[in-house]
Amino acid sequence: MRKIVFTLLAGVGLATTAAHAAPFVCPAKGGDFVFGQEANINTLDQMTSSTISTRNIAMNMYESLMTRDDNNNPILELAESMTESPDHLTFVFKLRSGVHFHNGKPMTSADVMASFDRYSKVGNQRSTLDNVKSWDAPDASTFTIHMKVAQPTFIEALSSFSVPIVIIPAENRDVPAQQLTNPIGTGPFQLVESVPGSFVKVKRFDGYSPNTAFEQRTGFGGYKQACLNTVTFRIVTEPGARVAGLKTGELQGVEDLPTKSLPDLKKDANVSVLPLNNWWIQLASPNTSAAPTDNLLFRKAVQAALDMDEIMDAASDGNYKLNVGFQYPNQPTYTDSGKETYNRHNADLAKKLLTEAGYKGEPVILLTNKDYPPMYNSALVMQQQLQAVGVNAQMKVVDWPTSVQLWQNTAEGWNFFFTGWGTQPALGSLATMQFLVQPNATYKPKAGIDDPEVLAAWQDMNNQPAVADRQAAFARMQALVLEKAYALPFGSFTKVQGVRANVGGFAPFRIPRMANVWLTAR
Amino acid sequence: MPIMLIVSLIAFGMIHLIPGDPAIAIAGMSATAEQIANIRHDLGLDRPLLTQLWRWYANLATGDLGRSLLLGQPVVQVMLQRLPVTLALAAYALVLTLAIGLTSGIVAALRQNTWVDQVAMVVAMLGISLPNFYLGLLMIVLFAVDLRWLPTGGYIAFTADPLGWLATSTMPAISQALLLAGLLARITRSTMLEVLRQDYIRTARAKGLSNGRVVLKHALANALIPITTVVGIVVSLLISGSVVTETLFSIPGVGQLLTQAVLNRDYPMVQGGLLIVTGLLVVVNILVDVCYALLDPRVRYDGA
Repeated sequence: MRKIVFTLLAGVGLATTAAHAAPFVCPAKGGDFVFGQEANINTLDQMTSSTISTRNIAMNMYESLMTRDDNNNPILELAESMTESPDHLTFVFKLRSGVHFHNGKPMTSADVMASFDRYSKVGNQRSTLDNVKSWDAPDASTFTIHMKVAQPTFIEALSSFSVPIVIIPAENRDVPAQQLTNPIGTGPFQLVESVPGSFVKVKRFDGYSPNTAFEQRTGFGGYKQACLNTVTFRIVTEPGARVAGLKTGELQGVEDLPTKSLPDLKKDANVSVLPLNNWWIQLASPNTSAAPTDNLLFRKAVQAALDMDEIMDAASDGNYKLNVGFQYPNQPTYTDSGKETYNRHNADLAKKLLTEAGYKGEPVILLTNKDYPPMYNSALVMQQQLQAVGVNAQMKVVDWPTSVQLWQNTAEGWNFFFTGWGTQPALGSLATMQFLVQPNATYKPKAGIDDPEVLAAWQDMNNQPAVADRQAAFARMQALVLEKAYALPFGSFTKVQGVRANVGGFAPFRIPRMANVWLTAR
Repeated sequence: MPIMLIVSLIAFGMIHLIPGDPAIAIAGMSATAEQIANIRHDLGLDRPLLTQLWRWYANLATGDLGRSLLLGQPVVQVMLQRLPVTLALAAYALVLTLAIGLTSGIVAALRQNTWVDQVAMVVAMLGISLPNFYLGLLMIVLFAVDLRWLPTGGYIAFTADPLGWLATSTMPAISQALLLAGLLARITRSTMLEVLRQDYIRTARAKGLSNGRVVLKHALANALIPITTVVGIVVSLLISGSVVTETLFSIPGVGQLLTQAVLNRDYPMVQGGLLIVTGLLVVVNILVDVCYALLDPRVRYDGA
């Protein structure tokens, strides 16, 4: 019988979980797993990349002090325990002993210090540390964070896997952003070779020390074992080629199988199709600084006109779920507040609101791109739905970087910006709703001033000491955003992964986790 | 040198003039404005354009083409990784192009207006008009999924495993070669037809020379100048890489690299990569000119 002892979230206190089974043992060891990845990888420098393609690979090599479990709860990873002071201003992490880097060096608090130092300089999400005054290492196995002010959501932010504070050897402290080309972490796999545009190969790290506080892999953490000899992440951007590779067995696993291939693949006894629900939320953000979308009645008219089934069907090729708001229905933070605004497809109401808004047929520009077909397709259907109620909807199609730049830097020339949120909703309501306040507001508040009601709800989401109160603030904020049509979420996509039938232990997740995955002789 | 200078200036101007931001590509889809701003600052993209231009030329003067914003590696290093892939594939595709294009063009000309000619030209037209992408997918389904003769994609370097290279390069090379061979076949045919009607060919035949000798020594030798021009273009196209082929077959070549660089606004990569490719194309053009002189004694580059 094992015991996992760790200090949980701020305000929750010490929690003890009794274990219930023996730790995971690889049913088979060995083999080379080739995974077909849909997107190119630019860097393996996890601290300076927010992309899913980097995370897909790097998170099999790196680990953090804390991460998230299968249910998105913060858990300890490289730390054995975490203690929060009663004034919430100090967090003391005791590091797990026996953890080594891929270069053979034991991990100590000096490495954690160096990792936080580097992250604070070049980490893409260094605002995580905004409320941190300092960090120090009283001894080789202790790392302490001192806060400027109490932040009830600090542990939630610290355990985020969006741009995680991965622990690297101290000698890499001063490597500039994007230039950590030889990743050395503590994870179950270590780098063999990276050929940009082609593949990244990793192999089992024989010196890996699993987290014995757990018995199984969970989320990005838990008890991890590398059963496979090597894993090759091959970049296969063409969906047809991924399907072909899976069918022939050249690829043992792939991500993002096209919907059209699924009926055929489901008949193939050598292939298992694994749907990954709630992959991302598709949405349009209005420009509330430009006419006519600066008019609440006009935005409500647009909201009333939309048929989300049609939009999502086109956007996802039929693989979607309708859900209200900004969290996925399987999450504890999910709320349907504001549901009365969603999926109304009421043409009469839309026309009535357009009249009340004084709309005179001004052009309404839908800013989208073809780099991400779901965004283009959803814009196309929305254009038709708006035209059907008398809105002069026009498409502006550019590439993704251009559309983001136009959205970020220009107040005129567009009315709806099409985007998708994947990782942030998965991380929880706090990570998601930051997109709806300055400086990240997708809806472009007039004169750059946040809606005071929305801002107040956001501040409560951050500062209320009790979890229930923070959740209530989130529900309030979501309802406000939907009522004021500051964002038009359409629904969520299902992404489909697939593996060969001889692959064991592969569970659909936001990234392909290669720990505790094995190949049988079949 | 002037060409390189002009290309460098155009590359800098064009990539900076079009909207878009490499920080967005690095940050990813779900990035916040803060993350994007941090990246812009870290990469020096928030500095004035003229400062960036000055730094580009100052570094260029020392042979430094800069560092890829996305890959985090020096441009020269990345290009040195990718060029051998593209050049090896280009060489393979060129051999196939010459073999198919020249042979079918010559045979079609010699058998003008026969079924052989018609079949050769229909195949050539198919090669030119069939989209690379579609042809590639058909080949994957046939040779990889159904027959299991070749892998669906990926790339193995020749130096690592020659047979593996052959296996991974055959479908990409064929898909590139069929397009270019069609072009070469049509040019070869029309040039050969023109030459075969010349008086000196009739004279050669009248002298009792064998048909093979007439065709190869007298006709083909004289048809080679326009054919060489087309081959030069073919080589240039192959060197600059085929985005479609490289993407479809997951080949880490120059075409895919530069296209990704443009799409992601990786300024140093686009600027430096184009400069290197331009340098190679200049070399190819010089070689073509040298070939002209070798093939036709009337062509001399002595300034006369």
